[in-house]
Amino acid sequence: MSGGHDNHGGLNLTLHVWRQKNREAEGHFETYSLHGISEHCSFLEMLDQLNEQLLREGREPVAFDHDCREGICGSCSLVINGQAHGPDRETATCQLHMRRFHDGETIYIEPFRAKAFPIVRDLVCDRSAFDRIIARGGFVSVNTGSPQDANAIPIPKENADLAMDAAACIGCGACVAACPNAAAMLFVGAKISHLSLLPQGQPERRRRVLAMVEQMDKEGFGNCGNIYECEAACPKGISVENIARLNKEYLGASLTARPEKESAGGF
Amino acid sequence: MFSRFGAFLRSSIGKKSLMAVTGLLLILFLIAHVVGNLTLYADSDGAKFNAYAAQLEALGPVKLLAELGLVLLFGVHIALGMRAILENREARPSRYKDLAPKGNRTFASMTMSITGLVVLVFLVIHIIDFRMADFSEQGLAALVVERLSSPVGGAIYFVSMAFLGVHLWHAFQSAIQTLGFRHPSYAPAILVIGRVLAVAIAVLFASFPVLLLATGGQWPWN
Ligand code: HEM
Ligand code: SF4
Ligand code: FES
Repeated sequence: MSGGHDNHGGLNLTLHVWRQKNREAEGHFETYSLHGISEHCSFLEMLDQLNEQLLREGREPVAFDHDCREGICGSCSLVINGQAHGPDRETATCQLHMRRFHDGETIYIEPFRAKAFPIVRDLVCDRSAFDRIIARGGFVSVNTGSPQDANAIPIPKENADLAMDAAACIGCGACVAACPNAAAMLFVGAKISHLSLLPQGQPERRRRVLAMVEQMDKEGFGNCGNIYECEAACPKGISVENIARLNKEYLGASLTARPEKESAGGF
Repeated sequence: MFSRFGAFLRSSIGKKSLMAVTGLLLILFLIAHVVGNLTLYADSDGAKFNAYAAQLEALGPVKLLAELGLVLLFGVHIALGMRAILENREARPSRYKDLAPKGNRTFASMTMSITGLVVLVFLVIHIIDFRMADFSEQGLAALVVERLSSPVGGAIYFVSMAFLGVHLWHAFQSAIQTLGFRHPSYAPAILVIGRVLAVAIAVLFASFPVLLLATGGQWPWN
């Protein structure tokens, strides 16, 4: 431990951590005391230290999701003192540092909560609803073959920028977690925007938005109330402009899509 | 074609779009309504207001049609609003200890269901008060004075308009967003227009019970 760098002996914390054995079990908060946590360590490193302490005491460590620990994979989650990914803007939990907390602080740590994100264990929730939404159209279909020249398809700079901003979504689900209605509109809006702004997304444009919204609703996410907490919680700063674009794309597609696979002469 | 339209109406975005369209039309109705009420300020005995009411009455079937339209607008907006409230509760069955603000919510955006439901209760009271009442003898203006100058009546109308104002504070820009329009050049103006409308509508409506309560049932310039 690197507590020696600090003038004081590090942070002493009281943690209330959500513990839940499995999907069916009733969860509850358990209280732990941690001592001498360096303010230089990350939030997840603090949890690592909690787990080492629990293991030493012969208790079950706390399960939580993480992978890259550099803000790019979207695995980490956690609602910290009621805020998805904690108190900082545009920061995933893995990039949150303990210097944001003070000595003697009490911290509540919960999983992302939504009907569509069932809790698997402790702080881990199942976000495969997002994968099923992507599977319904969050891609472009291309024929394989030799790549064409990169500049063969002209794309307006503005569209390229907007699509790039939308593509920054890492699929973490904080937008759902922070939404008072547990809506998934920022995530789906980012995916729809990313592809509908680019020429490569045009062939499947209408089909895509109809199918992805249908899946989103099927998964049991809530209705968007335009409260915009999603944008404030998003570690990638995805703008709610993408939700407006999703609404526009869906409205347009609903009004203009032709019935699929209606053969000539059929009724 | 119809199955596509049905799917649209059943979808989350379809429902919200209908709420937005009905909500925007209801805002237009509120503007017309409050402008009509302002005729109460045009003279000291309510004759202009009564004449305006009589003109509406004289429209006969057209007025009936307009009323049916209003019932439809309110009905669709309220039914979908109730459904959204229930679905949104269901979407998060396990509750957070306390979902703390991340920075973008407003008091109005977080209370749309409560302010909507209070407006609904108010609507029932309001319709019983004035639509169901027989004012052929005293005239509508006198009935308004009677209802709004009693402490309970005045308080109900005043408080309800406060709730309506909070509902509208969030509503206008929300509807524009729901209908798919958001552009960095226009978003700030749309926000301000909606909030000015909200305050103007609520304050103008509320001015009647406030003045009548303050003067004990007399128009101040009488
Ligand atoms: C004159 C009366 C009313 C007006 C002008 C009005 C207007 C609006 C508007 C413009 C919206 C935004 C819609 C959107 O973003 O898609 C809205 C939302 C809403 N309204 Fe009303 N409304 C009125 C009365 C009511 C009533 C009586 C209820 C009763 C249930 C209600 C419940 C709601 C709810 C729950 C929402 C939020 C829906 C959501 O976020 O999912 N409103 N209203
Ligand atoms: S929009 Fe933001 S908060 Fe939502 S999944 Fe993507 S990166 Fe996470
Ligand atoms: S662990 Fe990869 S984004 Fe946090």
